[in-house]
Amino acid sequence: MGATLRALRALVLLFGFYLLSLVLLAALVGLDIAVLTWTHGPAAVKIVIVSALLAIPVVQGMFMLRTPRGEEPAGVAVTETDEPRLWALVRELAATTGTRAPDRILLTADVNAAVSERSRLLGLLPGPRRLYLGVPLLTGLTEAQLRAVLAHEYGHFTGGDTRLSALVVRGRAQIGRVIGQFHAKADGKAATERARQEQASAKRVAKGKKAKKVDTGGAGATYRMMAAIYTAYGKLYLRASLSTARAQEYAADLAAARIAGRDATASALREIPVLATSHDFYLDSYATLGLPARLLPPRGEFFGGFGRLLSARETELVELRGELPTEPGSPYDSHPPIAERVRRIEALPADGRTEEAKGAASALLTDAQRTLAALEDAVLADEVLAFRRTGAWEELLDASMAEGLSCVHTPLHRALADYTGQQPTLTALLEVIDDGRLWRLAERLPLSEQAAAAKGRAFREFARPRLGESLRTMVLAEFSARSLLHWEFSWSRPAAVRLPGWASANTPGDGPEAALEAAVEAALADHPDTAPLRALLPPAAQPA
Amino acid sequence: MTVLLWILGILALPVVIAAVWFTGVFVKELFSPSPPDADQAAEAAEQLGLLPAERQDTEHAAPLPAPWAQALAAVQGGDWQPAAEVLRDIGRDWERRTTVTGLLGTLAAKEDAWLLAWEAARPEDPDAAVVRAQSTVYLAWELRGAKLAEYTTQEQFAGFRRTLTGAREEIARAAALNPDDPTPYITEIWVALGLGYPQAEMDKLWAEITTRAPHHFGAHLSALQYWCAKWRGSQQQAFDFAERAAAEAPLGSLLSVLPLIAHFEHDEPTEVAADNTPEMVARVDAGLADAAAADPEHPGLAQLRHLLAFYLHLQDRHEAALKQFKLVDGYVDALPWSYLGDGAAAYYCRVRNETVRAVAGAA
Repeated sequence: MGATLRALRALVLLFGFYLLSLVLLAALVGLDIAVLTWTHGPAAVKIVIVSALLAIPVVQGMFMLRTPRGEEPAGVAVTETDEPRLWALVRELAATTGTRAPDRILLTADVNAAVSERSRLLGLLPGPRRLYLGVPLLTGLTEAQLRAVLAHEYGHFTGGDTRLSALVVRGRAQIGRVIGQFHAKADGKAATERARQEQASAKRVAKGKKAKKVDTGGAGATYRMMAAIYTAYGKLYLRASLSTARAQEYAADLAAARIAGRDATASALREIPVLATSHDFYLDSYATLGLPARLLPPRGEFFGGFGRLLSARETELVELRGELPTEPGSPYDSHPPIAERVRRIEALPADGRTEEAKGAASALLTDAQRTLAALEDAVLADEVLAFRRTGAWEELLDASMAEGLSCVHTPLHRALADYTGQQPTLTALLEVIDDGRLWRLAERLPLSEQAAAAKGRAFREFARPRLGESLRTMVLAEFSARSLLHWEFSWSRPAAVRLPGWASANTPGDGPEAALEAAVEAALADHPDTAPLRALLPPAAQPA
Repeated sequence: MTVLLWILGILALPVVIAAVWFTGVFVKELFSPSPPDADQAAEAAEQLGLLPAERQDTEHAAPLPAPWAQALAAVQGGDWQPAAEVLRDIGRDWERRTTVTGLLGTLAAKEDAWLLAWEAARPEDPDAAVVRAQSTVYLAWELRGAKLAEYTTQEQFAGFRRTLTGAREEIARAAALNPDDPTPYITEIWVALGLGYPQAEMDKLWAEITTRAPHHFGAHLSALQYWCAKWRGSQQQAFDFAERAAAEAPLGSLLSVLPLIAHFEHDEPTEVAADNTPEMVARVDAGLADAAAADPEHPGLAQLRHLLAFYLHLQDRHEAALKQFKLVDGYVDALPWSYLGDGAAAYYCRVRNETVRAVAGAA
């Protein structure tokens, strides 16, 4: 089957979606007419009501195929006067690809670039175009790589393919969304999704300025049945159009390689998964570090620190770039595996354009600092924006850790309170250890099945790491409460705790941290000795 | 309506028959799980003075010498002195020293108050040190559990590796306190297995052992595990190791057990023909000659006899098999039974009773 024929088949299937709805509606109407013609009374009324209820999701389904409006992601809209160089690049690429430049550029906070078109009549008539461009991409890519990414996106509008395939690809996205919504409603997936989001980390609070409202109503049995019909049909459509969609991606990659150069395109493809992973890590470990303590990094740094993380961890990133995902995200994902896309691009003949536009893409921005600050205002929730700004990352780390330690509640705290019936303090714990009752206490820790079943030495060996972790935290909290603790901030390593008396000349083998490790170990030994730990504690924490 | 019932009735008939048959089989299995001639075989075995499964000792492969048994009982009561005495009396009999170290180490891996007392009383005692090292290695394996890697949790693996790593120091200390003793190095084989020493490291370790005790039974059993495909070697390497060691060892050293174990470890359990090849018959014959020439008090003799009994049975040499069974009956912590854990005694008795029946049938 040729590409055009395949596309035509998928298009027929797309119209079949409407046809299916119409047939279902016609069947319901026919049923009602038949019922009203031959029977009367309450039974007939009941059937008509049920059929009307059934018609609702069908009609909804038909309208769902339309692109939902007002779903614009949070971001900073930039005009040509704001960012002349970025606009110039975007226009130039559009001209080279032979397509229309976007009418609007929106800088977003995710690792993504997308061009959307509010087309009319199922995409047959053009509409306004928008370019969504993630600032982390500008931070992490070179200008040449950014050109490749944009050229790929434009490639979808021109392609090397028929106009029909473009329609098919757009249809895929919409049908995927319809199925998603049906699933969300029918399987009660919405509820679990919401639960997941509610217990989610501060990261999502920060990003969730425009959290989508999830509609969980109408999840009846009839609804489920309708959903099943649509889902089955949708999957059929997705499968029928998969090869077309994948061919589109490859064609767009080729267009990108032609416009931005082979090497820039291949390296951009390698770079994007790495940036996505790193950005997640950055948000988790750095940007949102202070949120539990209601603290924010300095203005512009919430997204601005990402660049510093990337340069500090360059060696790690080199390794990550080597490992490409070989599996597609899902069987219905229109994107072929990245590894395969990279392989195809790298198999192209060399074009001698390795040295083009090697500068950072962020240099395209007029004032990167101002953009990063504006992005915070646009993306972070108002509640988060009201948090206190710290003066520097070091201060943010110290304050967040101190706040975290001040209200820390380890499993050992709970076990101790449960065992002694008193306030779970370090003093109380050391007394229990000195009395030789540590292992009785350890039995109250939340333990794995294997640990709980173990006896004697094996039990102690299972419990020891958990005890050590909690005890160390309790000791650090004592120091922290007296402002004796300092945390060493680093873009390339996890934060390291510094106890009083620490000097940069200390090697890992000596110094107060090693002394703390040894003291914790001694306190949890088979013959426990709390003396080293007591000697280490700040004077005020010494038990009377 | 009647026609419909008829059709349904005819369709239902085979289902009903099947259901009745299944219920019958189920009830039969429930009330008499084994076929009746197995009971006869068990009775015949009992008449020969062989013990039923519930009276088999699943902790040992053979009865312990009285002083050893007393020492083990004493340490469980907290008294370490008899154990220290046993090890001192054994002196440089490395085979026995390794065996007793293993027995004491097993107990100390569970609870080690008595060992701590021993160490406190005699801080530089090489005997206490070697038991300490052995007990920590056993403790590590207890933390890991006996399940396949996929059923072992991260926590178990973490404890396993941490404890094995800690054991290396204790092994080095025990070796330093008694430089001629191969036992600490034999203990280290189980660290090598668990932590995955490279084969070059294993070769070095093996050289330390063979210069001290060239034909040590326990050492060879442990090293063979390392070379097995399921651990750090391959089927080829395991057989190479086993055949070479068996060929080089003098008669009576019991190393003829190694090819049998290599075969057992790499055997498809369903394939009986593989146990009947001329090669396997020759291996069993070599084992019989080896056992006949060995010191009857050799701590490894029972292990060889268990395997001989098993393979003689599989080779339909039931008379000879029964002879071996009679010599080891009562203690079943040995290959090929011990991998079944709680089922070891039952498995042993099933094969033994089968042998008894075959002998009775032939007579």
